[in-house]
Amino acid sequence: MSKFMVIGERIHCISPAIRQAFADRNPEPILLRAKEQLDAGADYLDLNIGPAERGGEELMQWGVKLLQENFDNVPIALDTANMKAIEAGIQVYNRSKGKPIVNSADAGDRIEYVDLAAANDAMVIALCSGDGVPANNDERIMYCSQLLERGMERGMEPTDLWFDPLFIVIKGMQDQLVDILEAIQMITDMGLLTTGGLSNVSNGAPKHIRPLLDSATVAMAMKCGFSSAIVNPCDRRLMETIVACDIIKNNILYADSVFEF
Amino acid sequence: MPYKKVEQKFSGKINVCELGVGDAAISIGGENSLPFLGTEGFKTAVGIAISDTTDEWADCFGTIYGDDLKNPAALAKAAVEKSGADFLLIKLESADPNGADASVANCVATAVAVEAAINVPLVVEGCKNAEKDAKLLEEVAKALEGKNVVLFSAVEDNYKTIGAAGGMAYGQKVAAESSVDINLAKQLNILLTQLGVKSKDIIMDVGSAAVGYGFEYVASTMDRIRLAGLGQNDESLQMPIMTNISGEAWGVKEAVSTIEDAPEWGDQEARGIGMEVSTAAACVVGGSNAIVVRHPESAKTIKALVAGLVG
Repeated sequence: MSKFMVIGERIHCISPAIRQAFADRNPEPILLRAKEQLDAGADYLDLNIGPAERGGEELMQWGVKLLQENFDNVPIALDTANMKAIEAGIQVYNRSKGKPIVNSADAGDRIEYVDLAAANDAMVIALCSGDGVPANNDERIMYCSQLLERGMERGMEPTDLWFDPLFIVIKGMQDQLVDILEAIQMITDMGLLTTGGLSNVSNGAPKHIRPLLDSATVAMAMKCGFSSAIVNPCDRRLMETIVACDIIKNNILYADSVFEF
Repeated sequence: MPYKKVEQKFSGKINVCELGVGDAAISIGGENSLPFLGTEGFKTAVGIAISDTTDEWADCFGTIYGDDLKNPAALAKAAVEKSGADFLLIKLESADPNGADASVANCVATAVAVEAAINVPLVVEGCKNAEKDAKLLEEVAKALEGKNVVLFSAVEDNYKTIGAAGGMAYGQKVAAESSVDINLAKQLNILLTQLGVKSKDIIMDVGSAAVGYGFEYVASTMDRIRLAGLGQNDESLQMPIMTNISGEAWGVKEAVSTIEDAPEWGDQEARGIGMEVSTAAACVVGGSNAIVVRHPESAKTIKALVAGLVG
């Protein structure tokens, strides 16, 4: 098995500093967050430019080039509701360190993001949802199958789709988290890869509790086959848990100083 | 169903490491697939081993080298000429505190004389006493500054001295010895890297055993190291591997027993070469980027094997 893939989520237009940097085309705050995440062990960087209805294409190209030129062609997840912007970003994307990831498709309104990924030889994060959040695992697996079929019809390798079972928030939906783990196991048993926005789980919990909840969730999910997550790599507890789980799963080789490398 | 050829592509690549300087320089590593399955790398370098202490060597080496056997510089020259080896390894065995306990200064002088006598890259092996090797290899690194030699090898107890001297102060290559312990191999690479030695200046000395003496464990260790470096893209395991099998191969009973001891086994020299060639060949296909043997015939045979495989 390959080691767990960490997608760093911190270049996100929801952050005021990043939103401003996008507006001003100011590289500094973006490069700073990119470096922090890569130093902390991120494999991919998510580049979320928001809805970007106006000027999205040019902004995405600027962002992709900025990150890849400064960080040795770091692989990127292109994250926006503007499909043209994703396509524009892929045009300037250097694949030497990994395919671009289209973030994201679902089995509802966003099914065409699968087509976009297929047409551009990209990977895609495929949310197991349709017109709403799935009510149970039957629905999750149904959406997963629809997305898989769509991709394969268009010539994609099944492992270029990363299925997101949609983590739910513990505060309020605690009783469903075990179902999510089961869904990860089911998708894994189909020979497919999974990913997801892990920090949803601890949303709304106190700041000092969140790393613990996220770490425990990732450990249990990795036991079920979870193969990637979109996370804050600067959460040291979480990243150490991922490395430890990768060692236990024999995905990476143990050494006494493995946490210091 | 039509046949679909599936080719396993790896994301990782083994570092290229250059040994020696000028026209004599060679490079090892550079492959991005398992041994001999790709198009890059794989021209395994073959080295010839000599020592400053040859008293225990089998009689056949007296026949091959004559009086040169007692003179490391002359022996080095003869060994390279007779074997056609790509590089030479001198073991400074006399430094061993539990043996002749020769002074560091004397051993360094030997290394310098050997380097001057040959026109191929040099690997300097210590006496395997960690404390003495720290001093010895540090001084060797200093005396041979600019020659890009391999210090063979640093262990957990002396990597700081050898790494700092060889890999940093005097620009040599540092081998990291892990005695067929895969976790230690990774650990030493991490420690050397943290110390400030560049990855491209590190070589893995993962150890070996003679075939028939636990070699399966060596094979699985090399396999796992390569799969981690290539498949998992583990940068702490992408250093080329150098293996000196000469001591192991010439130390087992099949090579040590004389014809008088075991007449039914036939010629001792042929047996020794046989042990050495089988062990070396197994290491080469297991992933060693540089292999060191003692007998010139073994070196020629392995060179021919590699040439045959690479085409």
